[in-house]
Amino acid sequence: MFQTIVSRIAWFFALWLLQVLVFNHVHIFGYATPMPYVYFLLILPVSTPRWAYVLSGFVLGLLIDIFANTPGMAACALTLTGLFTPWLVNVFRPSDDDENFAPSRKTMEWSGFTKLIVAAVSLHCIAFFLLETFSFVDFHEILIQIISSSLLTSLFCVALELIRVK
Amino acid sequence: MHNLLDFLRKYCHVLLFVALECIGLTLLCRFNGFQGSVWLTAANDAAAGVQALNTEVTSFFELRNVNRALTHQNVHLFRENAKLREELASLKKDTTLTEKLMAEKLKDFRLIEAMVVSNTTGGGENYLVINRGEADGVKPEMGVVGGGGAVGIVYLTDKHHSLIIPLTNRKSSISCRVRGQNYFGYLQWSGGSTRHAVLDDVPRYAKVKSGDVVETSGYSAVFPPGIFVGRVKSVGNSSDGQSYKLDVALGTNFSNIRDVQVISTPYKAELDSLFSKAAKETL
Repeated sequence: MFQTIVSRIAWFFALWLLQVLVFNHVHIFGYATPMPYVYFLLILPVSTPRWAYVLSGFVLGLLIDIFANTPGMAACALTLTGLFTPWLVNVFRPSDDDENFAPSRKTMEWSGFTKLIVAAVSLHCIAFFLLETFSFVDFHEILIQIISSSLLTSLFCVALELIRVK
Repeated sequence: MHNLLDFLRKYCHVLLFVALECIGLTLLCRFNGFQGSVWLTAANDAAAGVQALNTEVTSFFELRNVNRALTHQNVHLFRENAKLREELASLKKDTTLTEKLMAEKLKDFRLIEAMVVSNTTGGGENYLVINRGEADGVKPEMGVVGGGGAVGIVYLTDKHHSLIIPLTNRKSSISCRVRGQNYFGYLQWSGGSTRHAVLDDVPRYAKVKSGDVVETSGYSAVFPPGIFVGRVKSVGNSSDGQSYKLDVALGTNFSNIRDVQVISTPYKAELDSLFSKAAKETL
């Protein structure tokens, strides 16, 4: 249990630094920006209280915002993602009542985990880019941003999963 | 209470979510120029909409007051208009000979301009009320003249109003004479038309014919001599057959009299004291 907490805290800071130092500077074709910090919320064990999802989402988002000079944007989007992640995990997890269940490609199979990743990442990207543009004027462009960023982020999340779970 | 706590425990993550989103959105609008401006614009639009609605509703309920104010103003303007029209008419009006002559006669006296505010005609008790009183120097027993000649005598005075006994009152009795002859009589009114009065006690040796001018004699302190009163219409005999009784067409039309002047006699007090002295002597 303690080990789990420590490892999650380690992932928290690792994803933060990775985002701040590397991924925030990636803008493929000016549209797609990877935001794999969502991955942190996905690998929390289901025994985590729901408020912890929300709060950790907010804190992680705010830390990233501070360094990206976009106060509130990632924080709001990731807080929203934090609210819905436990529900998404319940939707995609296999139907066994394991108290210590933690989402991963082993416990959920690749198909379930990928679905979870895509769903959570899409939700986050939609929220993030709507907050960034703050209007529906250039809806076409927003859509491209959302889809491309979602795909790229999902890709990075899958890669991270491959690194984490041997 | 227990249920409330249960509810809060169950949904604390939602409350936390709402609080954090509020913080996040505040930060978003506070520190991001574009989002801030969009938020400000939208908020201003919404506020303006609400204000416009509020103003519309308020102005609708204000209509009653506006209406009242307009009515007030309208009445005020009506009155002002009427007043100005009258002033204009009086300025344009040709000064008649009577008025010219009267003005000449009265030039040594102080005249108090006044307006008739109440005029009761009909019956034997005709009275006029003018809008000048003690405060303006009007005293009882002062003479009153109008554009058509003598009008009457001040009877009672108040601070700002005075009651006048016109020639067309049974109590009225003014010393008059026929112009060019110094025989005088008393002008009295016996009811009926307000355009006619009777000059009684004119001696039979006075040469009077219809059309002669009747004017004040000056034998009282009320009117100076020579104020136009009217014209002789017909000559008749008095009831005792000793004197003439003249039917006089009055110069003043009492049914539409409006602007009058009160003659402030400067020697009135002197004459009064003389009379009272004389009365004492005879006692």
